[in-house]
Amino acid sequence: MELLQEFFFPCLWAFLASVAFGLVYNIHGGGILICGLGGGLGWFVYLAAQRWNAGTILAAFVAAAAIAVFSECMARLRRCPVTGYLQVALLPLVPGSGIYYAMRHCVAGETQLFLSTLFNTLGMAASLAVGAMLASAVVRILLTRLPQKHREHP
Amino acid sequence: MDYDALLNMGTELGYQLMYSGAEIYRVEESVRRLLTAYGLQPQVFAIPNCLIVSVNTPAGHPITQMRRIPAHGTDIELLERCNGLCRRLCREVPPLEEAKAQVDALGKERHLYSNWVFLLGYVGASAFFCAFFGGDALDSIYAGICGLAVGLWLLYAGPYFNLNSFVTTLFGAAIASLAALGLVGLTPGQNLDAVTIGTLMLLVPGRALTNAMWEIMAGDIISGVNRTAEALLTAAAIALGVVVALAIGQ
Repeated sequence: MELLQEFFFPCLWAFLASVAFGLVYNIHGGGILICGLGGGLGWFVYLAAQRWNAGTILAAFVAAAAIAVFSECMARLRRCPVTGYLQVALLPLVPGSGIYYAMRHCVAGETQLFLSTLFNTLGMAASLAVGAMLASAVVRILLTRLPQKHREHP
Repeated sequence: MDYDALLNMGTELGYQLMYSGAEIYRVEESVRRLLTAYGLQPQVFAIPNCLIVSVNTPAGHPITQMRRIPAHGTDIELLERCNGLCRRLCREVPPLEEAKAQVDALGKERHLYSNWVFLLGYVGASAFFCAFFGGDALDSIYAGICGLAVGLWLLYAGPYFNLNSFVTTLFGAAIASLAALGLVGLTPGQNLDAVTIGTLMLLVPGRALTNAMWEIMAGDIISGVNRTAEALLTAAAIALGVVVALAIGQ
């Protein structure tokens, strides 16, 4: 029950929110469910990483990497551009709450909290970008290398 | 062969790709492959709001076309259609008239969802994001209403007043947090933070952030820096809009 509360519901909400965002980005057909699955998967990895005592920034890095691997594989399977899936699936991780809390501290005059929240937000955005970038670069190298090897050693 | 028509076709495909929100690398590569398939050696250069395609005819006559790309959203359906068509044209290389008709059809028949589906997307996304950030059922309903307000603003008011994306986002964020303040004021004890953040997620620069790293990874540093600046500016616009609303709320 505790696991259900901690993992299942947040991932379900992330899934549904990503599916709804797929409508905004004009995604038709089954691709919209893949975006949703990516969003849910990313949040699951994020929560699991936090459970293993990773900080928010490291957890965001791992989760972005997982989403990128998932999106690259799906793009190969469906022969579609990868960007659409990745954009939507990364959304639950984009630190919108960080911007809001930073501004709340700013208005309340809590400079220390404002600055630390701001830098945490920036760090999280950067680690998302770097995590997704590295993972999909690795996947691309692997996926383009493998067929060549098969050709060399039939 | 009619090289003017060929160049027009290549540029039109690139334009539609850019307009659907494709990354620069994909645009340049698609136009290059398409024109190469028709036996030319094109030079293609693109940055986020400009596309230049230049070819030399076999007689040695250089021809160039430049298209400026207006502000645009993301249209994954159009992107997938452009990509599929480009692959097919490169593989089959049909006669020029036939190919040109197919490329011209891309922009004419947009398969956009109707506006109420977009609004449903905005409402659903903000409601579920509210639940995601720890709101209960009533919070999610409030967030859905705020999302509807932001969606109406983004879909109708922004284009009507012909605003740029910075101002649109700024007012969108202000509307989101003011509506959240007003609704949560109706029934005390609701989670204001969850309602506001859930609605703000509609505006966060997720697309610009993803695109930015994509361009940098592909080696298009100018476009990457451009998109990074776009992401930072959007975040700043959200922050400004929230500050206005929070200051009023205090």
